[in-house]
Amino acid sequence: MNRRVLVVGAILVLPLVWVLGMGLGKDPKRIESPLVGKPAPAFELVDLAGNTVRLEDLAGKPALINFWSTWCVPCVYEHPVLVAAARRYRDRVQFIGVIYQDEPTTIRAYLARSGAWGPSLIDPTGRTAIAFGVYGVPETFILDRSGTITAKYDGALDPATVDALLAEVL
Amino acid sequence: MATRGVGLGLALLALLLTSAPALVAQDSAAVELDPRLGVPDDAPLSGPALEALTQEISSLIRCPVCQGLSVADSPTTSAVAMQDEVRRLLAAGYSGDQVLVYFETSYGEFIRLEPKAQGFNLVVWIAPFAFLLIGAALVAMRVRSSRAQLADNASRSAPRSASQSQEESQDVDHDPHNEPERDPSLEAYRQRVREEVKP
Amino acid sequence: MMSLLGQSLVLVGLAACAVGAPLAFTAGARRSQVGVTAARWLAHLFSVAMVLATATMIVALVRHDFSVSYVAEVGSLATPLVITIVSLWSSLAGSILLWGLILALFTTIYCLTDRASQIDESAYTLGTLLSVGLFFSFLIAGPANPFGTTPSPIPLDGPGPNPLLQNHALMIIHPPTLYLGYVGMVVPFAIALAALLAGRMPAKRLQTMRTWLLVPVGFLSLGIMLGGWWSYEVLGWGGYWAWDPVENASLLPWLTAVAALHSAMAQQRRGTLKAWTIILVLVSFLLTILGTFLTRSGVVNSVHAFSQSSIGPTILTFFGICLVAVVVILALRVDRLQSAPASEALTSRAGAILLNNLVLVAFTFTVLIGTLFPIIAEAVRGVKVSVGEPYFNRMAIPLGFGLLFLLGVGPALPWGTSDSRQVRKALLTPLPAALVGMVLMAWLGKPSGSLLLTGALGGYALWVTFDQALRPGRAGRGKRSGTRQGFSLLAVMRSPRRLGAYVVHFGFIMTFIAIAVSSTFQTDAEATLQAGDTMEIGEYQLRFEALRVVEEPHLTAQRARMVVLRREGGKELAILEPALNVYPSQREPLAAPAVRSSPTHDLYLTLMNTGLDGTVGIRAILTPAVIWIWIGVLMMSLGTVLCLMPNRRPSTTLEGPVEQATEGGAA
Repeated sequence: MNRRVLVVGAILVLPLVWVLGMGLGKDPKRIESPLVGKPAPAFELVDLAGNTVRLEDLAGKPALINFWSTWCVPCVYEHPVLVAAARRYRDRVQFIGVIYQDEPTTIRAYLARSGAWGPSLIDPTGRTAIAFGVYGVPETFILDRSGTITAKYDGALDPATVDALLAEVL
Repeated sequence: MATRGVGLGLALLALLLTSAPALVAQDSAAVELDPRLGVPDDAPLSGPALEALTQEISSLIRCPVCQGLSVADSPTTSAVAMQDEVRRLLAAGYSGDQVLVYFETSYGEFIRLEPKAQGFNLVVWIAPFAFLLIGAALVAMRVRSSRAQLADNASRSAPRSASQSQEESQDVDHDPHNEPERDPSLEAYRQRVREEVKP
Repeated sequence: MMSLLGQSLVLVGLAACAVGAPLAFTAGARRSQVGVTAARWLAHLFSVAMVLATATMIVALVRHDFSVSYVAEVGSLATPLVITIVSLWSSLAGSILLWGLILALFTTIYCLTDRASQIDESAYTLGTLLSVGLFFSFLIAGPANPFGTTPSPIPLDGPGPNPLLQNHALMIIHPPTLYLGYVGMVVPFAIALAALLAGRMPAKRLQTMRTWLLVPVGFLSLGIMLGGWWSYEVLGWGGYWAWDPVENASLLPWLTAVAALHSAMAQQRRGTLKAWTIILVLVSFLLTILGTFLTRSGVVNSVHAFSQSSIGPTILTFFGICLVAVVVILALRVDRLQSAPASEALTSRAGAILLNNLVLVAFTFTVLIGTLFPIIAEAVRGVKVSVGEPYFNRMAIPLGFGLLFLLGVGPALPWGTSDSRQVRKALLTPLPAALVGMVLMAWLGKPSGSLLLTGALGGYALWVTFDQALRPGRAGRGKRSGTRQGFSLLAVMRSPRRLGAYVVHFGFIMTFIAIAVSSTFQTDAEATLQAGDTMEIGEYQLRFEALRVVEEPHLTAQRARMVVLRREGGKELAILEPALNVYPSQREPLAAPAVRSSPTHDLYLTLMNTGLDGTVGIRAILTPAVIWIWIGVLMMSLGTVLCLMPNRRPSTTLEGPVEQATEGGAA
C-alpha cells in the first residue's frame, strides 16, 4: 500500500466530488439580480402614445415593470395574465411595460389584437433594459413605493406569482 | 490576446493624444440619468481609439442570451445593443473599468466573461501557475536524481549499455543518426541479445 | 411492442455484463482460461444485445412509432429520413444508447484482438470493460431509458429533434465521431487498470495499450475539429472555439491521452515513467466520465448541455466509484510496477517528453479548473461567475507556445544523453528555418509579438518535423549504396508509425499557424442595407438584392440574397444567402451564416436583423487561413491512422524479428 498515492488521491478526489455534488441541485441559468434591494435605475422613456415616463413619476405607488416583446413566446403566454392583474390591482399598482427590441408598429398591431395592460414604453437603444440587467424577455421587476426593487422574476408570470410578488409591496 | 493588449496600448496612447475635453462634453453631461455611473474617469474618446477600446471591453462582457460568447463576438441584437452601450459610455469618457462595473451592478458578476482577480476568484488565476511550478519542481528533482544515476552508469558503462541496446532494439522508430557509434564488440553482443529475444 | 423489445434487449445486455464482469475478475484471480472464454462470450452477447437494441430504436424512429418514449420526444412526421435516423443522438436518452452501443462494440473488438500473454491481464481488462458496460446498460435500462412507453393517448406526431441539429450536415458525423473518441478511452483504461491489478506491464502490453490509446485520440481530434467547424458554419459568430464547457470536456481527455502517448514512448525507449503513463491513461478515462457528467447533468451552462436531467446523480455516483477504485488500486499496486531509474537529462528526447508532459498536464489542469470554477465559486461563495474565452486565451496561449516549442526542440534532440556538442549541433541546425518563419510572418504585414513567435517556433518545428520524418529515407539509401546522396521514399513509407507521428506533428503546426494567422488578421464590417445598396470588405463588394421569407415545416427563414463582387472590375463571384431562422421553440432567432471558403481566406456573412422597411443588417467577416485549421486537424487524424499501421522493415535489417515480435501485441 502506497500511502502517498492514497493521501494525494484523497486530497484530489474528495473536494472534486463534493463540488460537483454541490453543483447538482442548482440551475446554472438562474441568476440572482444584484439590483434587488437597491433603487431602480433611472429612466426616461416615451410610450406608444407619445407621453414621457420617468422613474420619478412612479414614486408614491408600487410598480410592476415588465420587459417584453411580441416575438417572445412566453411573453405571449403571460400577456392575458398581465391584462387580468392590471385590472385587479388597477388603483394600487402601476403596470409598466418596456418593449424589448421590437418595432412600435408591430407592438401596436399586437396590442390592438390582444389588449393593453399599461403604458408600453419604447426603449430604442435597449439602454433601459441594460440598466435593469435584463438577460432575456420576459422579465419582471417589482418596485415599492420608494422606487426600490423588491423582486425580479424571470420567465412567464402566472396569476399566483403576480399575487405573491405584489403582496410584499402592498 | 497579445494583439488585444497592443490594441489597448494604442487606444490609451490615442486617448492621451486626443484628450480634447469639449468634444462630447455637452452630450454626456446631459445623458447620464443613472447615478450609478457617476463622473467619467477619463476624457471622451472617438475614432479608431474608441473602436479599439469598445472591442476590448465588449470582449470581456458576456452576451446574456448566448452560450458563453462575448458581446463582441455575438451577432444577436441584444449583444449589439450592449456593445453600442459600451461604445456610448466609453465615448462619454467613462473608463473601461467603470463600464465593466456598471454592467456588473446591473447583471451581477456573471456578466464578466473572465472572473475579477480578487478574493476567492484568485484561486482560478493562481492555481494554474502553482500547478505548473510544482510540476516544474518535480521535473527538476527527477532530472537531478537522474544526473546522479547517469554519473553512476558512466562508471559501470558496459552492462548498462548492454541493457540499453536491448531497449533500443524494441524501439518503434529506429533512428541511426541519434545512436551512438557502434563498436564491433558491442555489435556482437547486440546480435546475441537479438537471437535470444527472437520468438 | 417496440418498447418491450428494446427494453428486453437492454436487459439482456445488462445481464451479460452483470454476470460477465465478476466472472472475468474471478477468472483473472484464479487464472482460469475457461472463465475468460465464458466472459468473452458474454461480452459478445452484450454487443449483440446493444446492436439489436439500437436497431430496434432506429426502426421505431423510422416508423414513427410514437408509443416509444424517445420517438415521442424527438420524432416528427415532417422530419426527413436522414435526420430521423440521426435524431438517435439528438437527445439525452438516445445518445446514451449510442454510447452503450459503441462501448459494446469496442469490448467485442478488444476480445477478438486480445493477444495478452497472461490470462490475468486479459481477464482483468475484460472485467473492467464489462463493469463499465454494466453501468451504461444500467443507465439505458433505468435512469435514461429511451424505450419507455408513452402514456396513452399516443400522440399522432412529435416535436422533432433539436433545431440546431437539423441545421447542418456536419451534425450527422460530429457526435458519433466524438463518442467514438470518448468511449474509446475505456479500452486503454481497462488495459492500464488490468496492468495494475496484475502487477506488471510488459513491453508487449504497453504497445497494445498505446495502440488502443491512438484510436480515441484520433477520433477525438477529428470530433473536436468537426465540432468547431460545425459551430463556425452554424452558430453565426465567425469563430470556431468558444471554450464552451462541452468543448473543454472533449479537450481534457485528449490532452492527457496525448501526454500518455508521449510518456509511453519514453517508457518503451528507456523503461522509465511506467507508473506515470498508467496514471495518465487512467485520468484520461476519468475525464471522459467527468465530461459526460458535465454535459449530461445540466450543472454548467453550455450549448450542448441538456437541461436539468435526472441522470446527473447517477453519473456522479459512477464517477465517484471510479475515482475511489482508481485511487485505491493505484495505492495498492503502483509499487509493483518497476520503472527503470530516472535517466533523463533535460537536453534529451526523454527530457523533452518530461517537459511535454508537464505542459500538457498543466494545460489540462488549467482548462479543468476554468471549466469547474463557476461550480466551485457557487459552492463556496454562492455567487455565479463566468469563466470564458478571455480567461482561457490568456492562460492557454502561453502553454500552446510551450507545446509548439517542445514540438520543435524535442524531436531534434537525441535519445539518452550524449555530449553537449551533438546536442548543440542538433538544436542550432534548424535555426535558419525559425528565422525564415519569422520573416514570413512579418511579411504578412501586421507583425505582432505572438505572430512572430508563432513564425519562429513554427518554422523551427517544421524543419525538425520534415528532417525527422524523411530521415529513414536518407539513412536507408546512404547505408546501402554508400553515398550520402539519394533519397528513398520507400524507406520512409516502410515505417508508417514514425511517419504518422510526424504527420500528426505537421498537422499540429499547420493548425497552430492557421489559428494564429486567422485570429490576427480577421476583419469585419457591419452595415444596414436597402435593396441595391452595397458594402465593402477587403477585396469584395457585397450587394444586397432581396430578402425572401421561406416557410419550412419547423422554421421560418428570412434569407438575404447577397451578390459577392470583386471590388475592382465588379466581376460577380458568388451569391451568398445568410439567413435568420426563427424556430418556435427558441427565444431569439438563430443566425445561419453563409460562408465562401477559399484557400487563402473565408468570406463569412451573417444576417443580424431585418427592418420592417425591408432593410437588413449584415455583418461580413473576412478571415484568412481558416480552411487550414480544418485541414491541419484532419492531417493529425490521418497521421494517427498511419501510427496504427504495422511497420514493415526490409528483412535485411537486424531489427526485423524483434520488431515483429512487439508488433504482434499491437495488431
